[in-house]
Amino acid sequence: MSVRNALLGLLTRRPCHGYELHAAFEALAGGRELWEVKPAQVYTTLTRLAEGGLIVPHETTQDGGPERLVYAITAAGRAELAHWLITPVAAQHQRDEFFLKLMLSVATDAAEPRRVIAAQRASLYRDLHATTMRRALIDPARTLAQIMLLDRTLMHIEADIRWLDMLEARIDDIRRQPLPEPSPRPRGRPPRT
Amino acid sequence: MIVETRALSKTYGTGQAAVPALRGIQISIAAGEFVAVMGPSGCGKSTLLHLIGGLDRPDSGEVLIAGQAIAGLPDDDLARLRRRTIGFVFQFYNLLPVLSALENAALPMILDGMRPAAARERAGEWLQRVGLTDQLQRRPSQLSGGQQQRVAIARAMAADPALVLADEPTGNLDSQSAEAIATLLRQTAGDWGRAVLMVTHDPRIAAYADRIIFLKDGTVVDDTRLAAVPLAV
Repeated sequence: MSVRNALLGLLTRRPCHGYELHAAFEALAGGRELWEVKPAQVYTTLTRLAEGGLIVPHETTQDGGPERLVYAITAAGRAELAHWLITPVAAQHQRDEFFLKLMLSVATDAAEPRRVIAAQRASLYRDLHATTMRRALIDPARTLAQIMLLDRTLMHIEADIRWLDMLEARIDDIRRQPLPEPSPRPRGRPPRT
Repeated sequence: MIVETRALSKTYGTGQAAVPALRGIQISIAAGEFVAVMGPSGCGKSTLLHLIGGLDRPDSGEVLIAGQAIAGLPDDDLARLRRRTIGFVFQFYNLLPVLSALENAALPMILDGMRPAAARERAGEWLQRVGLTDQLQRRPSQLSGGQQQRVAIARAMAADPALVLADEPTGNLDSQSAEAIATLLRQTAGDWGRAVLMVTHDPRIAAYADRIIFLKDGTVVDDTRLAAVPLAV
């Protein structure tokens, strides 16, 4: 959905070719290393948006070259975009694979919990280093938005590191407690209603 | 190796009140390496830095600076090693309030016997390199915290040390100045080829280093290279 709606948003500036939109999307999202999209996905998305009446294709010829499709947003497209923009994004912080690993290391003797934490922490610090170095290369006078996006990443990594420090400090207390168990369910057939 | 420690141990207090600060620390740091030391308070971070800098002596084990064991050195030789081979950067800058930035940066060289004019010239070059061209004549009270720490780094570098030891160098700075000082320390290692060992509790600042040594209860619990994964650009 995000790619689809971002394409709508990019088309509000001016009509564009598919390949222009592909490059514009990746640049806006923070670069290909952050959010890579296959060109084919952009083209199929544009076809579907056109089928839904949210954009309209026009054929153009450039300097005698082959004909290409340029897309323009429709009123319906604008309405859909405006609705999407004011709909909040669900934060993704419910599932945590690392937490599963840690709890299973506590419950079994397959790995020492402190090693599980240390491995995760080392990985987070490598990410923090790479992001810090990338941020240092960016000119804040020209690309402040990119800096803000990297700052978000830095803050999240830092929060994860601090959480690991807390977990490590309390790991012996956690070990003394039983592993979370499923809540008991009534046996047999459910009662008729 | 610029720094090597072998089975380095230190205990403070005696008998019942004895608190082991370091227990058999074994690390080495090469020229051009920027290493952060992290760990919970009381883990021995500062003790390690003090022993490597010859500000304190270990109970057992050895510190080698540029291949030379410092335990056997007479006090005079140790003092010379501290002045010429090791540069120190502290949390509260440790500048003399009555001296200008230039005089502060030149002082250790003058104390080491260099002609004052030559010392001031070298100090001025380093103050320029750390970005303080226009503040040479200002006193510490006329400088921001970040600028005072730049003076301290210029003072450390002017003696041309092989090793720079920094104890919470950004602990007293706002986040922007802190990142500028971390960048400067990274340059000290990367561009100027010195070994830099920095104690910090701030993950964002540690992330400027090439490597993090994690201490806990006086032992190394992890030694992580940060740049092992190539940066995707």
